[in-house]
Amino acid sequence: MKKLRKRALIYPIVMTVLTYLPILVVAVYSFNESKLSSKWDGFSLKWYAELFRDDSILEALGNSVFLGVTSSVLAAVIATSAALGMAKSKLPLRHWVEKLALLPLIIPEIVLGMVFLAFFSLLGLPFGMLTLIIAHTAFCIPYIYTEVAAALENLDLSAVEAARDLGAGRLTAFFTVTLPMLSPAVISGMFLSFAMSFDDVIISIFVTGVSVNTLPIKVYTQIKTGLSPKINALCTIMLAVSVLCLAIAGIIKKIHRKYS
Amino acid sequence: MKKLALVLASLMLAGSLTACGGSGAGKNGTLNLFTWEGMFPEEVLAEFEETTGIDINYVNFDYDETMLMKLQAAEGGDYDLVIADDYIIETAIAEGLVQPLDKAKIPSIGNVNPLYQGQFYDPTDAYTVPYGAGVQTIVYNPANVDAEIKGYADLWDAGLADSVGIISNYRVIGGMALKVLGKSYNTTETADITAAGEKLNELAPNIRLIKDDYIQDDLISGEIDAAVMYTSQVTMAKMTDPSLEIVYPEEGIGFGIMAMFVPSKAPNADAAHKFIEFILDPERGAKCYEYLGYYCTATASEEYIAEEYRGFLTLPAELDREDMEMIQNITPEADDAHIAAWNAFKGLCE
Amino acid sequence: MTRKNQRTATLAVLPMYLFSLVFVAGPLVYMLVLSFMTRDGFGFTNAFTLENYRSIFNEVYFATFLESLKLAGISTAAVILFGYPFGLGAALLPDRYAHFFRTAQMIPYFVNSLLRLCGWIIIFRANGLLDKALMALGITEEPLKFLYTYPAVVVGMIYVLLPFMFLSVYQVAEKLDLTLVEAARDLGAGKIRAFLTVTLPLTLPGLKTGIILTFIPSMGLFFIASILGGNKVVLIGSLIEEQLMRAHNQPFAAALSVALMLLTGVVCGLLMKKKRGA
Repeated sequence: MKKLRKRALIYPIVMTVLTYLPILVVAVYSFNESKLSSKWDGFSLKWYAELFRDDSILEALGNSVFLGVTSSVLAAVIATSAALGMAKSKLPLRHWVEKLALLPLIIPEIVLGMVFLAFFSLLGLPFGMLTLIIAHTAFCIPYIYTEVAAALENLDLSAVEAARDLGAGRLTAFFTVTLPMLSPAVISGMFLSFAMSFDDVIISIFVTGVSVNTLPIKVYTQIKTGLSPKINALCTIMLAVSVLCLAIAGIIKKIHRKYS
Repeated sequence: MKKLALVLASLMLAGSLTACGGSGAGKNGTLNLFTWEGMFPEEVLAEFEETTGIDINYVNFDYDETMLMKLQAAEGGDYDLVIADDYIIETAIAEGLVQPLDKAKIPSIGNVNPLYQGQFYDPTDAYTVPYGAGVQTIVYNPANVDAEIKGYADLWDAGLADSVGIISNYRVIGGMALKVLGKSYNTTETADITAAGEKLNELAPNIRLIKDDYIQDDLISGEIDAAVMYTSQVTMAKMTDPSLEIVYPEEGIGFGIMAMFVPSKAPNADAAHKFIEFILDPERGAKCYEYLGYYCTATASEEYIAEEYRGFLTLPAELDREDMEMIQNITPEADDAHIAAWNAFKGLCE
Repeated sequence: MTRKNQRTATLAVLPMYLFSLVFVAGPLVYMLVLSFMTRDGFGFTNAFTLENYRSIFNEVYFATFLESLKLAGISTAAVILFGYPFGLGAALLPDRYAHFFRTAQMIPYFVNSLLRLCGWIIIFRANGLLDKALMALGITEEPLKFLYTYPAVVVGMIYVLLPFMFLSVYQVAEKLDLTLVEAARDLGAGKIRAFLTVTLPLTLPGLKTGIILTFIPSMGLFFIASILGGNKVVLIGSLIEEQLMRAHNQPFAAALSVALMLLTGVVCGLLMKKKRGA
């Protein structure tokens, strides 16, 4: 059992505070009357009002979430099963393909975006959600693959064997022993993928079509006209919603524990 | 894991709800408008949708070059109306990606300021209607600057050490040095460009920052005292702090035009023409330019622009138009010389 | 190993195998071919040339590679320094606290990265929050002018990359068998010895993943240097963007990317080898 020493809390708390400091500043400035962050003109909710009048931003948010979830789930399935099978499979060149799958990490986004655009139009794929998902899955796979491969290195295979010895079928052993042991790695990989996908603008701009805008595209294409604080407002709401969801989940869990 | 899944699920739900509430094809079709974010006030777009029954699908790009690549990939289709910068339109027209405008559908075309017509990218105005112009100015804070700034050459003043901000665009900044040396923005003489690069290197000690975003904030917070920046940023800065001075450089004015064009295979060219006509309405146009923060390109709209904006959204009458020059496409060799000079200069700024 | 086992394994690898061969190798080959083409106006022609690769060794561009390597090195080292103890420390706490800190590292990703950096600008700028705090405490007397300096860029890099290290270390350290550490201590190993002989080797896979996920992106990241550093540090990423977006020299941009890939790959290979030997 892990014991709590108060002193051990200090460093994580300091780091967490530093993580949130700039975000809180952004949140505070979403209530700024002025369009510029260099001047505080007094408290105002006008950016929130503008945000809710702008359907296209909310639609873009929906697209971004859908895209992030779909591509990180797809990438998780593809990368996890590949990491598990890699040692035993006998496919030709598999170790080269393993390295190949990691390459999207190294190629600068802007070049990746450009070549995706050229390649997809060569294949004749219609630009839109489909091409976005393919491109995002391609750069999500490396995050999950590296995390899972690292976890496999440490995995205690004797537990799996023990389960098999006790008569568990291959599938049962996989779902009850292997997967739970890998899940922290899969989760952190999926999370990093989601984060990268949710924040990606360069690749998305190149591979999206007429009808799909994502949130980062909305944000970064304001270069020409100046960033509007309604994006601050949106991010503040999203932050609040995620914290709220976590709090509710925590409370439900607690109640659940109390009565069971 | 459950927690994260819950957050994702609820966000997804929120996302899909808003996505459903958002769109739905208009009864008179859709206008696929391809430009930067924030080019039009929300109410103008809404008014267009209401009066015409055409739904606007607002799609964005970051750089002109991205737009061109997307348009090439779509072979001139997919998008109905594009707004982009002058130089890229020249290329798009040359590649056959633009269709001639049907002027009969744009009766208000006469509202456009002739200064912004007949330019290099579209000499006969067959393909484009301008929407906003960027004019190169210098902005400075007179409270912190002792000398009076009249032109680009004054930025080299030793009194401005470590307090000048510039945008990250080598044609604008390199062109600024060319102007100081009395050359054209568009010179293709590599010797001139190299000389301008050397002149620019002498500016390095005065440079505090080179960047495209938020530069107006740095001027207002006192991080920098003088800046060469995008027109919309100048407008925002001046609106926030009226004590800032805007200077039309005595060496000459560089300017650029944003223009609307209809791609060659636009699915709904008719809607695009309707939109152009809609924006050319003098009063509505004025509203757009105030929102956009770029110079007004429609003479008819000028009188409707609010007093507080007019000073910096319309060109001063006394400006000699002979001194104005657009930044155009140049030869690859000249471009390479610009880039080499630019990177050497950035390396010197510490 | 049974034949059936092998077939299952092959089936498991197949999706990634095919996906990578089509959607990664395809674009990659395109990029490679492009890097040997000749630039022509806004586009390029199919004339083979080595000129693009030759240009890389131009003094200015070469210096850019070194500058990127330097920043990536410094950032990665700093991220190890701050992120490894954070990930390890959090994972060793009782579950309730550990999960809290892990979740806390995830939530900020719902906020756009440009905005998060903008938050630092507000804090660091002249007469900004940091300056006001320091002056109120009497530590400094005039604005630090910290923004648009090299350290400001490093702070930004650490901020953006730290979660990659944190999560990689955390997910390995979470399963760390503490009895082993205790056993080592019982056998008379000092704190440091126990760490070096037990904890570090057991968390090494996480650290390695963290380094890969930090170093590789940091070679290409340039928007932090442009936002917090005022663009005065010229990085390879911004050079590639400039070639592609402003100079319209796609072949040269492709050649620069190939060079960047090779350099990153070689450095990563070396890093991993050393770590394995240690």
